[in-house]
Amino acid sequence: MPVDRERVEQFLFREAQLMDEHRFDEWLALWSEPALYWVPSNRDDLDPAREVSLIYDDWVRLQLRIARLKSGFAHAQEPRSRMRRLISNIEIEDVGDWEIVTHSNFLLAELRRGKQDLFAGRTTHRLRPENGSFKLISKKVLLVNNDEPIDNLTFLI
Amino acid sequence: MLSRNGLDYESLVKEDRVHISVYTNPAIFTDEMDKIFHRGWVYVGHRGEIPNPGDFRLKRIGRQPVIMVRDQQGEVHLLLNRCRHRGATVCQREQGNTRSFRCMYHGWTYLLNGDLGGVPSMDGYGEGFKREDLGLVKVPRVGEHRGFIFASLSPAGIALDAHLGRAKEEIDLFAGMSNADEVEVVSGVHKYSYQGNWKLAAENSMDGYHPSIVHASFAQALMDKITHVPTPEQQRVDRNFAAFRGNAKDLGNGHVMLDYRMRIYDPLNGDPAPEVRAVTPEGEARLNNLDRRFGADRAANMLREGGTHTFIFPNLILIGVQMRVLQPLSVDRTEVCLYPTLLKWLAPEVNAIRLRSHEAFFGSASFGGPDDSEIFERVQDGCAVELEPWQLMSRGLHRERHEDGMIVGDLSDETTQRGIWRQWKKIMMQGEVAARSMRKRGAGAVAIKRG
Repeated sequence: MPVDRERVEQFLFREAQLMDEHRFDEWLALWSEPALYWVPSNRDDLDPAREVSLIYDDWVRLQLRIARLKSGFAHAQEPRSRMRRLISNIEIEDVGDWEIVTHSNFLLAELRRGKQDLFAGRTTHRLRPENGSFKLISKKVLLVNNDEPIDNLTFLI
Repeated sequence: MLSRNGLDYESLVKEDRVHISVYTNPAIFTDEMDKIFHRGWVYVGHRGEIPNPGDFRLKRIGRQPVIMVRDQQGEVHLLLNRCRHRGATVCQREQGNTRSFRCMYHGWTYLLNGDLGGVPSMDGYGEGFKREDLGLVKVPRVGEHRGFIFASLSPAGIALDAHLGRAKEEIDLFAGMSNADEVEVVSGVHKYSYQGNWKLAAENSMDGYHPSIVHASFAQALMDKITHVPTPEQQRVDRNFAAFRGNAKDLGNGHVMLDYRMRIYDPLNGDPAPEVRAVTPEGEARLNNLDRRFGADRAANMLREGGTHTFIFPNLILIGVQMRVLQPLSVDRTEVCLYPTLLKWLAPEVNAIRLRSHEAFFGSASFGGPDDSEIFERVQDGCAVELEPWQLMSRGLHRERHEDGMIVGDLSDETTQRGIWRQWKKIMMQGEVAARSMRKRGAGAVAIKRG
């Protein structure tokens, strides 16, 4: 089946918008089990059984992450970050009947309490076609600054 | 008694309160660097961070950049990162493996033990040039306990053993009674900074009063959203997060701890929690030892989540499976490094659980730590209010007790903060003679003979 590039782009753009606007439930609804939301720490390629990550969320932790952000007591997001991100350089690596793998770059401007930070990186999404769109099975985010001090990464990246 | 910079520490730190200038006054920060970080014992790093010959890692002792390096014989050296010729740093990478350190200004090259090796175009120097006097400057005193390396830039003073005192037992428990080489510190680092004084993180790390408020989001989400069916015990723990019980203890010399029994991360790590097993005979022995002392259930939890909750004055915090190091940058900026640890004798799946337990609550994207940092910045901001310049640290003063030579309070009491401040005040009020003589010695140590 030929991949519909525009549909893939639309999915990635929509995910970006939901993250930028803290639309937690809608973002969570993009996901399907078994989920892996992974942001490595220190370097891009690591063994999660031996090395620490910034985020290594399975399905349970993904629920917990969103529940926490919605609790009203997540002080590091009070006030919330204001964000906009650009998604670009989209490559669709592997096409099969059951799965699509995409790589894309992002540039995120994040503003909170008078301080604006830039985050940049490359994300690999694993998507499963479903009902004319996709479900997110995993995403791995390689931050340019994953070996530098990061003061607050409590928003969705 | 006024110190040389006119600061009256006696009046700034009371038994039940501290004056906000201890968090905001740059002169106090400079004095702290001198008296606490450049004279006393500070934690530098762990042997497990540099397991192989030639491994190095950049560190700081106060403001001084230091290379922690293991030589070919396995000996660890702490070398000040500054070429003896024209003063450039000789090591730039945060960590790595090397055979030597080469200054990229004029090519002076140093061996792993700090000795000066090659100097290009030696004919430019006369007979008085003594290569042996021009090695990288070594940190005057280095001490070790179970692979934890401490250093002092002062050639004289209290022995490390006496400084650590009771805190040694907590280091032992943190290490699961392992020897120095069984503690693995190869899992990377979580790093963050905050716009606030370094002592705010020290105080907060040993604050048993704040979790149910600062970390309400974690407790509530844990209760509401764990999708597997928790065991009755886990349900009880989840409910009790807001009111868990234990003691706050002042171990002496500024070392303090929170002593409690609590499963925090097991509910996130599957049900039932993975069995803890050893993969070496030595590990089997250590596991049995912990089982006997704490019971099998508690021992297993200690190995999955961490065995102590201790602050070692002035810059090391042992919480969960992590060694947390405070790096003051300025009076209102602090960097924090978290080093999660593995134990060589634990089964791989148990070590993986240690990392997952750590990630749940600690690090920049976790469910706990960033909320603490947020509070530090709010406190620093609050220090702008000078009309009523005191912070209260009186909680539990009326109910403290002395047990076994320690001051003990309820888990939520400020016994721990008072213990830190007592040591801080003692050091900051110490006479000026020692500081002056240290500076003189420091100048002598870097003097070179004229060629």
